[in-house]
Amino acid sequence: MDFKNSLSMYLIGGALILFIIAQSVFFLVKAWKRGRELGLSSATLRSTVTTSALFTIAPAIAILATVVSLAGALGLVLPWVRLSIIGNLSYETVAATAAMEALNHAGGMAVEVKDQTLFATIAWVMTVGSVFPLLLLPVVTKPIQKKLNTVVAKSKSDLPDILAAAAFIGLIGAFIARAIAGSGEKDIIGDGAGVLSVITLVSAVVISLLLETIRKKLNVNWLQPFVMPLSMFLAMGVAVVAFNLLPADVALLEWRG
Amino acid sequence: MKKERPYLDRVHTWGRISSLTTLCVMLMFPAAICLYLNVWPRFHDVFSGLIKIIPLFWTTAVIEVVSYTPVLGAGGTYLSFVTGNITNLKLPCGLNAMESAGVKAQSEEGEVVSTIAIATSAITTTLILAVGVLLFSPVLPLIKESKLLAPAFQQVLPALFGALGAGYFMKHWRISILPIVVMVIVLVFSGGIPAGTLVPIGVVVSLLGAFGMFKLGWIGSKNTDAAKE
Repeated sequence: MDFKNSLSMYLIGGALILFIIAQSVFFLVKAWKRGRELGLSSATLRSTVTTSALFTIAPAIAILATVVSLAGALGLVLPWVRLSIIGNLSYETVAATAAMEALNHAGGMAVEVKDQTLFATIAWVMTVGSVFPLLLLPVVTKPIQKKLNTVVAKSKSDLPDILAAAAFIGLIGAFIARAIAGSGEKDIIGDGAGVLSVITLVSAVVISLLLETIRKKLNVNWLQPFVMPLSMFLAMGVAVVAFNLLPADVALLEWRG
Repeated sequence: MKKERPYLDRVHTWGRISSLTTLCVMLMFPAAICLYLNVWPRFHDVFSGLIKIIPLFWTTAVIEVVSYTPVLGAGGTYLSFVTGNITNLKLPCGLNAMESAGVKAQSEEGEVVSTIAIATSAITTTLILAVGVLLFSPVLPLIKESKLLAPAFQQVLPALFGALGAGYFMKHWRISILPIVVMVIVLVFSGGIPAGTLVPIGVVVSLLGAFGMFKLGWIGSKNTDAAKE
């Protein structure tokens, strides 16, 4: 049995997941009670729950897709736990890749991790890399809420929003740039930038923009949460079609090796 | 009878306990893996992996905590950071719920609605992931070995980041051009530069570029308002 997907791993993961669900239920119940005290109707609160659950389905499927895509290298349990607690769609991939690079794991995410020490190293890097907010929150949230709240509410400046967007763009941009011009391992097909990576990237962007345009023009707002996961899956589909239809020497062309 | 403390104060107490217990429990996860596998990684290896991501992740954490707290409220913020996936899920979900319920982010009603929305979202995500993982576990080896589907999984990163980025790039195209061009140029000269090194370069270039453009007045209230539909 693969140690990454063994029963013990599932039990360790399951215990953590229960802990997280219990916390969410606690906050939900407390907020619900307070909402009723404040005079919010049960109908409003119920509709908040329904809307939020529906809103969550599609992004959650995108997160599941990330778990599955990381599972090729890391098994299911580690990505599952990391993306259920603190984790984040884009960070976890970066963290796992950084750990693999530190231990010279050839081929990165495209190659299964079979070494137990490497696996444990990756688990530590992914965890410690992500826990900082938990140290920060107990100290800063209350003062921020008390003081900054009023300042931000009054301030007309967009700078915080702009910088948050810029940081995010820098992060995503690194992967975009790698799909255009990054080189991979010589022996591993599909690892370096080439015809397939660019076709997939362009398809994902174009499909996403098309869906977004359709949503706006036809006013189909329920489509909104599905735009991202749908574009991602369709672009992966385009990669499969292109790989199977294009002549092998074109489909496998990787200009950066 | 003892008078009950205000709701917000109690939320902060619960949130602090929640953050610190999650921190301990979370660190027990890799420790449990090590105990189970009976392997202990070298400190140096963990450190050299961490040094690549901590400057970015921890700086982003500060920016995120500062910028999301006023929007998500106290309960929403604690819960969002404990359960993760904020930008792509919890933040839009909380904003959406407050708008639907017609309450303001700064009010106590907003605080309550945001917390309920984010708690629901966290529970739903956790359940979808758990069910998905259990369903996928028998199928995964088949998918991994399928020659037909192999390219889909090899190209998952371009697909994911293309789909995730498209909206951002359109909305913030002025900010996007500079970091992407700089990183492509870096890769042209040094194609094998690892993602862990490239990401901080991208973020710093992007932040500096955006800050410069803001100072020059190229981007700012006018432009973002126009882009916000």
